[in-house]
This record gives sequence, C-alpha cells and structure tokens, in this order.
Amino acid sequence: MKRRSFLLGGAVFAAACTRGPRLNVYNWSDYVAPGTVPAFEREFGVKVRYSTFESEEEMLAQVMSGNSGWDVVFPAEDFVGPMLKLGLLAPLRHDWIPHLDQLDPAFRMPPWDPELRWSIPYMHGATGILYQKSMTPAPTRWADLWDPRLHGKITMLDDPAEVLGACLRKLGFSLNSGDPSQLRAANAEALAQKPLLRAYLNAEARDQVVAGDIVAAQAWTTTAAQAMAAAPGHLAFVLPADGFARFADNVAILRESRRVELAHQWIDYLLRPAVAASIVAATRTATANAGAQRLLPAQVRDDAVLYPPADVLARAEWLEPQPVASQKLRDRLWTELKSA
Amino acid sequence: MVLTLAAPLLIVCAYSMLSRGAYGGVELPVTPENYARLFTPLYAGIFLRSFAVAGIATALCVALGFPLALFIARSRRPNLCLALVILPFWTSFLIRIYAWIFLLRDTGLINTVLLRLHVIGEPLPLLYTNGAVVLGLVYGFLPFAVLPLYAVIERVERQDKVLLEAAADLGASSTAVFWRMLVPLCMPGIRAASLLVFVPCLGTYLVSDLLGGSKTVLIGNVIQNQFTASRDWPFGAALSIVLIVAAAAMLYAGRRGGAELA
Repeated sequence: MKRRSFLLGGAVFAAACTRGPRLNVYNWSDYVAPGTVPAFEREFGVKVRYSTFESEEEMLAQVMSGNSGWDVVFPAEDFVGPMLKLGLLAPLRHDWIPHLDQLDPAFRMPPWDPELRWSIPYMHGATGILYQKSMTPAPTRWADLWDPRLHGKITMLDDPAEVLGACLRKLGFSLNSGDPSQLRAANAEALAQKPLLRAYLNAEARDQVVAGDIVAAQAWTTTAAQAMAAAPGHLAFVLPADGFARFADNVAILRESRRVELAHQWIDYLLRPAVAASIVAATRTATANAGAQRLLPAQVRDDAVLYPPADVLARAEWLEPQPVASQKLRDRLWTELKSA
Repeated sequence: MVLTLAAPLLIVCAYSMLSRGAYGGVELPVTPENYARLFTPLYAGIFLRSFAVAGIATALCVALGFPLALFIARSRRPNLCLALVILPFWTSFLIRIYAWIFLLRDTGLINTVLLRLHVIGEPLPLLYTNGAVVLGLVYGFLPFAVLPLYAVIERVERQDKVLLEAAADLGASSTAVFWRMLVPLCMPGIRAASLLVFVPCLGTYLVSDLLGGSKTVLIGNVIQNQFTASRDWPFGAALSIVLIVAAAAMLYAGRRGGAELA
C-alpha cells in the first residue's frame, strides 16, 4: 500500500510537471465512449485524468474533504441537493456552455435544480421489470412479482431504496415516503416476497436473465437494454403501472476546482450532439441530449426501454434524499429484511 | 507498526463514539447511541449467524486441509504440491468467486452435466444458498489452513517419527495412531490454521453477496452497508469495534482452553 501510494504520488508529481493544464474528471463507469477523452485532449491541448466510481458514496466520501483534486463529477439527482448543502458545487456559467440549447426540453427544469445553476442532466433511466417473453401473463405491475408460481425465479435489486420503493408503490404510497407506518407496511411486503426470490442482484441479474435462470427481475433500464441486446427476441421490459423510480445522473463542477473555464469546456464538449451520440452508441444509455437523439439510428432513438413515452413517465417519481430519521429507519428495515 | 496498526484502529474507535453526518462522515457531539442501537436481538442474531458460518467454514477447512497437508507431507514432491495450493492466489479472489457462479447456477456446468446424464430432472438450486456461501468460504480460505497444517505435520513426522513408530509397535492400529498420536501432536498447527481461517471468514461480505445472492446478511455486509447506502459511518465503526472485541475474546478463550488441554 505504501509503495503503491508512493508510486501514485510520483505519477501525480510527474503529471504536474508536464506543460499545460490538466482536467480531473470523476465519472460513473461505462459513461463515455472509448474515444471521448482522447478527442477532448487533442482538441483542447490538455491532459485529462479520468477515473470512475461504482457508487456515489465512494465519490462523495472523496469530494467531501474539499481538496480531492477532482474538477468535474457526475452526481445523481438525489445527490445534487446534499452536495450543494455541503458547499461542494460551483455555480455554472451558461454563457460558457453554448451547447446547452441541445439539452432535451424535458430536462431543462429538473426538480432538483430547476435553473440548472449547479448541474446539467447527462444520462437518465428508470427502474422496472425485465422478464422472459415466455412468462404468462406478462407482468404489468410490481404486484406481479409476488406471484407464488414464480418461486425461485425472480430477483429484486440489492438496493434498499429500490426494494422498499417498489413495495411502497405496490401499496400506493410514494417512493420517497418518510412515514414510519408506511415504511413498516412496505417492509412487511418485502418480507412476504423474500421467500419467492432467488436473490437480490444488481447488474449480475443481466447474465442470469439472459441465461434463462431467472424469469423476472427488478432492473434498471440500462441493465435491461444490455440484456435485451444480448438475447434478442427473448426478453421484454415494463415500467410498472403502479409507479416506479426514475433517476438522472448530472454533470457538475466542484467548488474546489481551479480550472473552472476548462471544466465548462468539458461540459460543453459532452453536450455537442456528435459527442453525445457517440457515447450513446458505445454505452447504450439514455442521453438527456436532444441533439444527439436526432443523430442516432431510428431503432436506438425509438427504443421504448431507454426513452419511455411521456404517459408512462407520468407514473414515475424521482428518488429524493431522505432525512436522517427516515434513513435510519430504512436502514434498520433493510437489515431486518436481509436477516429474515 | 504503531502508525499502520494502532492509528486506523484508534480512528475507528473515535468514529464509533461520534454522531453521523447527514451525508456520511462524522460530527460532534460524542454519543453512546451507536453502541446502544447495537445491543438488540436483530444485531445479536446477525453476529451469531456470522460466528456460526465462520465456525462451520473453519471446521471444514481444517477437516479437509488436514488430510491434504498429510498427503503433501508424505508425497515425493511436497514443494510442487504447495505451489499448486498457492497457485489460485495468482488470480483475484473476486474473479474466482465469479467462476463459481458459472459453475453453480441453473444453467451452469454442474447442473448442465447432471441434467444431460439424467441424474436429475430439474436443475438443483445450488447458487444463492447458505451452502454456496460456506462452499465459497471453504474454497477461498482452504490454503490458509493447509500451509500451517503442512508445517506442523512435516515437523511432527520428522521429529516425532519414533513416537509414531513406537505406538504402532505397541499394537496401536493406524487409526489409533492417527487420532491419538498424530492429531494431538499437530494441535498447535490446527489452532493456527483455525485462527487464520476463522478471522477473515468472520469479516467477509463478498462471498455472502455474490454466492448468497445477498439473501443472508453477515456482519460484514451490515458494516459495508453503513459506509455505502446507509451513510452511517459511526454505526459502522461501532459494529466493527464490537466485531474486533468479540473475535479477540474468542481467540483469547481458545488459547486459554488450548493451554489447559496441553
């Protein structure tokens, strides 16, 4: 470990000695195309230190120190508010982001940052049910995942907010409920469902559904799109009628950044339709860039999994940050569920 | 030594007595709440289950490791055999556990072969069970048991060979020589092997997540969750401290017991 940090220190020192500015970008994994960063480096004559995280807590733990060394990060919608409260974000200058007009109109006034002062939506998705087409009847709502005939053939996400969220919606409550009695009732639903479940899986559910081990899985749109591409014709995806969660990952500049102008150039670069389209082509994620969508082949652009129609999205809720009391109760309920 | 061992432990200890920050991290004031929350049947049950799973995995590791170490000690190429035992370490543990997923799942190798041979009509539910978790732990930590067992068996067979031969000459069957001579003489190695397996098994969270399908929660999973989704660092630190104390107490009791036996 010592040796490693020494080598790392040496590398950082060497990079600092090379001429020209360097931009530090910390993103989710699988969120740019292989050529995105090199092309930016060539065009702007800069170096980019690009690294990825698997969970936002990992990212937040680093940037909370206030001298993490990152310039640009990608928080999800429920992290923008907390990061702002912690004083971690720098205000955005829209006059430095001319391609902002390419943003999908649906994402120009997001509830977590209505004037886009601190963050700009980048990619988005939702939580639904990925299932085998052979499943009859086809699921339409969360309640269909409580069917005893599916014993051992279903998975739910290994994510407290998602499992509890699906149970809350099944009961007709809000995903973001902080009401203890509603949360307890939802957890009772989760406890009743647990014996039917094969496992709680996130991205690993993809391989299991593709292989046919699992008939139906609670899954994110990104995972579903990848699975459906891997097993064409066999799988389908539905956003449940009883309501579901949406998420959006945003790009933001940290207050600690000393390369604010370059960071804006990076954001503007990501918003260029050609760049955004190349990222979508490589990653199969849903972009918040309307200009990019026009450049995509019709079959990608009209993919109802990635870009659900407006009447379906009307049933969605954004996940919101939970107050401490609610979070403590949710953690306790999750532990109870897992140890049952 | 002080810096690398004591300092992180002291930080964990200090964190466990502070309040949680709303978005992770710790804040003042100092509070006993993290420990108070912990002493409930829910967490006691999880601790007990973690100790039981680690105990079963340890017993299996020693039971399988002993004959293997004996075989290696008596083989003509012990160094080659030891190299083969250590060979899996050249690949990441995570990747080897993923390989088990491919072996165990419904459409995996084991079920496919058994189905083809008509031994079974339906795929056996192998993956995402408690058995799979124990299997993963035994697989992962068996080398930690084999190495100290080999060291002690090799020494006993060399130094105390006369004792073993004397027992046989006096009419003890080979089973009696094994159980009443060899095993007691190898006790220090068995204790060392148990320790080396039990402690890492106790803190594991990867195996229960990947092979258990996150359906059973071990104390390692609860701790991990406090530092990620739940963002409750002080509670995670308190759980860690209790785990360390409980493990240390067990080790101390084990040593005392061992000393009395000897």
